[in-house]
Amino acid sequence: MASPLHHVIIGSGSAGFGAAVTLRKGDPDCRISMMTMDSLPFYNRYDLPQIFQGRSDWRDMLAVPPTFFDENRITLRRHNRVVEVDGVARRIRLAHQETVGFDTLLVCSGGRAYVPENLTDKLPLMHGMGSYEAVMRLYRDLPQGGHAIFIGGDMIGIDLMLMLVKTGYSVTLITTPQTLWPHEVSDEKRGKILAALADKGVTVVDSARPVGIDAGSDQGAARVVTLEDGTEINGDVVVPACGLVASVEFMLRAGVDIERGLLVNPELGTSNEAIWAAGDVCQIWNDEDKVYQFCHGWKNVRIMGELAAGNMQGTHRDFDVRVEDRIDLDEAGNIVSTFWEH
Amino acid sequence: MEQPRVGTDIQFAICGSAGDGTIAAGDIMKRAAALMGFKVIAFDIYPPEIRGFGKCISRIRISDAQTYSLKRHSDVLISLNDAHAIPHVGEVRDFGAVLFEDNSIAELPEGGHISAHIRAAQVPYGFGIREISEKATGLARSRNIAALGYAAGLFNMPPGIFHQIIAEKFAKKPRAVTEDNTRAFDAGVEAAARVFKLDDVSVGRPLSAASGADAVMMTGNGAIARGFLEAGIQAYFGYPITPASSIMERMAAALPREGGRFLQTEDEISAIAATLGAGYAGARAATATSGPGLALMTEMMGLGVMAEVPFVVAVSQRGGPSTGLPTKTEQSDLNLAVYGGSGDAQRIVLAPTNVEGCYRCAGMAFEIAETYQTPVVLLVDLYLSNRFETVIPPRKNIFAPKPRKTPKMGKGEEYQRFRLTESGVSPRSIPGEAGLTHTVTGLEHDEIGHPSDRLHNEMNAKRHHKLLPATHFPGLTTQKRFGDSGKVDVGLLGWGSTFGEILETLYTAQGQDIRVAVMKVVMLSPLPVDEIAAFMDDCTHVLVPELNFEGQFANMISGATGRPVTRLTQTTGAPMLVDDILAELHRLIDSPAPPPTSSHRTAEGVRA
Repeated sequence: MASPLHHVIIGSGSAGFGAAVTLRKGDPDCRISMMTMDSLPFYNRYDLPQIFQGRSDWRDMLAVPPTFFDENRITLRRHNRVVEVDGVARRIRLAHQETVGFDTLLVCSGGRAYVPENLTDKLPLMHGMGSYEAVMRLYRDLPQGGHAIFIGGDMIGIDLMLMLVKTGYSVTLITTPQTLWPHEVSDEKRGKILAALADKGVTVVDSARPVGIDAGSDQGAARVVTLEDGTEINGDVVVPACGLVASVEFMLRAGVDIERGLLVNPELGTSNEAIWAAGDVCQIWNDEDKVYQFCHGWKNVRIMGELAAGNMQGTHRDFDVRVEDRIDLDEAGNIVSTFWEH
Repeated sequence: MEQPRVGTDIQFAICGSAGDGTIAAGDIMKRAAALMGFKVIAFDIYPPEIRGFGKCISRIRISDAQTYSLKRHSDVLISLNDAHAIPHVGEVRDFGAVLFEDNSIAELPEGGHISAHIRAAQVPYGFGIREISEKATGLARSRNIAALGYAAGLFNMPPGIFHQIIAEKFAKKPRAVTEDNTRAFDAGVEAAARVFKLDDVSVGRPLSAASGADAVMMTGNGAIARGFLEAGIQAYFGYPITPASSIMERMAAALPREGGRFLQTEDEISAIAATLGAGYAGARAATATSGPGLALMTEMMGLGVMAEVPFVVAVSQRGGPSTGLPTKTEQSDLNLAVYGGSGDAQRIVLAPTNVEGCYRCAGMAFEIAETYQTPVVLLVDLYLSNRFETVIPPRKNIFAPKPRKTPKMGKGEEYQRFRLTESGVSPRSIPGEAGLTHTVTGLEHDEIGHPSDRLHNEMNAKRHHKLLPATHFPGLTTQKRFGDSGKVDVGLLGWGSTFGEILETLYTAQGQDIRVAVMKVVMLSPLPVDEIAAFMDDCTHVLVPELNFEGQFANMISGATGRPVTRLTQTTGAPMLVDDILAELHRLIDSPAPPPTSSHRTAEGVRA
């Protein structure tokens, strides 16, 4: 009898989890290993802003109970950083010197927060929001009623901003070209959305470029953001919200095509027949426009994971790159975005 | 899932290879916890071979309330060697923590890293243990202490107490050793400070009124040695054998300082012969051995009984028969301890159930031996010998020897060393005492000690009857009942180290509204039969869990009382699990009447 196939998934977010479930449904005997740098089993990242409403126990955020992984024989390997993929030998190398072979590999490593180049050396002074631990640190470091400064204003950040103002914090948004990422909107609509944010209580500093972030004094503000015109904004925390960049460094020697993300065909296969990609890490071929494009948003990411997994097992379905990309204001003046749909 | 108690009740498991400093790290952890004022139970497991480079595990349970055994599930596992620790990942409870090296310097095969084995419900903490040690000290040697520091930092345990224990532990080594290890510890603490804690393990303040400064961490063997010393032991003769050797090691170091005599003999026969000789000469004398050694000693045990010579033999049981399992625990030398030897050679056998019991029984053993002029066997096992517990010894020595009374003879009265008295206890003299010349022999004898078969029946009766009051020896707990009073659904009878698990079972069962009581029996010979029978009268079912194949204690109880018991026996080399006892207890409750069958657990499982 042939050995069961070993499917390795890099990433344990929505795409990776959806893929694992699909793979198990399609093949009860296969081996499934998920490699992630996270500490937690799969949880809904779109629930993270709820931490500011007091929902801070990570166990309440799990999408499935931990036993789900045992019951479905999905080996979840946390604190595992993939440092290299050998697409020919079909094996990955982990930072702790372990080598793991695969029959098929699905890369769902997502993206990391983009930070403007002139501020990268200030990263230690910023708070991320990409994981439970990061948002919990933000929650702990931001005093009750304190002031958060957001640089950028992507859709992930706006979600959090709205929660902060709703729960009694003050928020300043310093907009950048990445504001409303990944949506691309007209100036007119952008203005309306920023006005809506201001209406909700967000202080919007538009068309400004931050050039410095400093730790404040013990007596004064914890953080000081300096703008290009010399203006200083005092706050307690600084949060970069400039969108994501695909995490693909470990794929550089995998023998697959990479541009800003992993380039995949509509079936989400890469140029190596054993390697697939899904989620924020991949650029998908749009045959209509003849371009590779990212398709962000929680719902899209999950669908991509499920679809890639099915294709790894022999189905041939294309991902519809004509995904809805819409940001609007509803009648009550609330911002609604397809990015947030899940 | 085993739920954490309210308050502190945490079990650490540190696993590594021999040479990784696993046991040393565990030692520091348990001593620090004791100094913090927590109750501590700890047990170290060494490689299956006496010598080698195999697996070591140190398990330390710290709590703010008294506990009686290790838990089945640990709250925290620290891996110093993944190959050894991987099989133990499963013992960590849900939402407990697994600490491991995530920066290996060696190539690992697929699945060779512990992260491949951590369940989703467990919380992983990977960190560069080696790197922390090397940065702090320049060497990887302090990996164990760095990992300990990380754990202390993660669980918010005060570093100062660890510093003190590290300094004490390495006090005899060059100062640089203490300094390096302290730096490695602090570096571990600092690394943990940057980590977001996700597990639900927490170390709170100890609630016990007991001061950490008064508490002493002791193993069962250490407690026996301390008890011996406080009782004024004057001579110790021994031959090393696992797991009793540490008694001898302690005596070798301490006894000469106290003015006593220590001799390592050429074998066990010599050891007990010398012990008997010293006892005959009036000294408080003892030896210690394990099952194979006791087998060799049985002839001299018989001589001690026949010649009515007081001495003490500590026996730490291991897996048997023959060489058996030197580093695994078992309770299968009960028959040998109680009955071993030729003829009807009843002696006193005490089996303490915890470390404090070891201390108390050892402290009183000489007094008992002298009172009844007979050998006393102190019966423990590897699990109790090597188990650490916090003990708060009395501030005043309560075991100091009392002056021996020299027999007073009337004018013209003949001294009869073996006179038949109402109590069975004869006037004892020691060689050299004027006017008390007598004969001592292994042959049956008359009242003055001359070989004779004339009084064999009377002498047998004397040697037996004189021991019976020992079941009520002042100050000694020979048996004790716990749990519900009056009629109960199930009563558990236990002895030795297994009683800790039995007591934990009691408290768990009471939490499930089961009417249950337990009785520990410390004096195994002579048996406190009346108290045991009274206890059994109250029990619909009587369950006897013990670590041997045949149910030796159950047989003894059943034989002494003529009543049926249910046996739960196990010879896996490991302590019995509370869950197993509880499962059997539930099975009994569902049984309509006391079943005549027994259950036996083997490595393959339970069979009825």
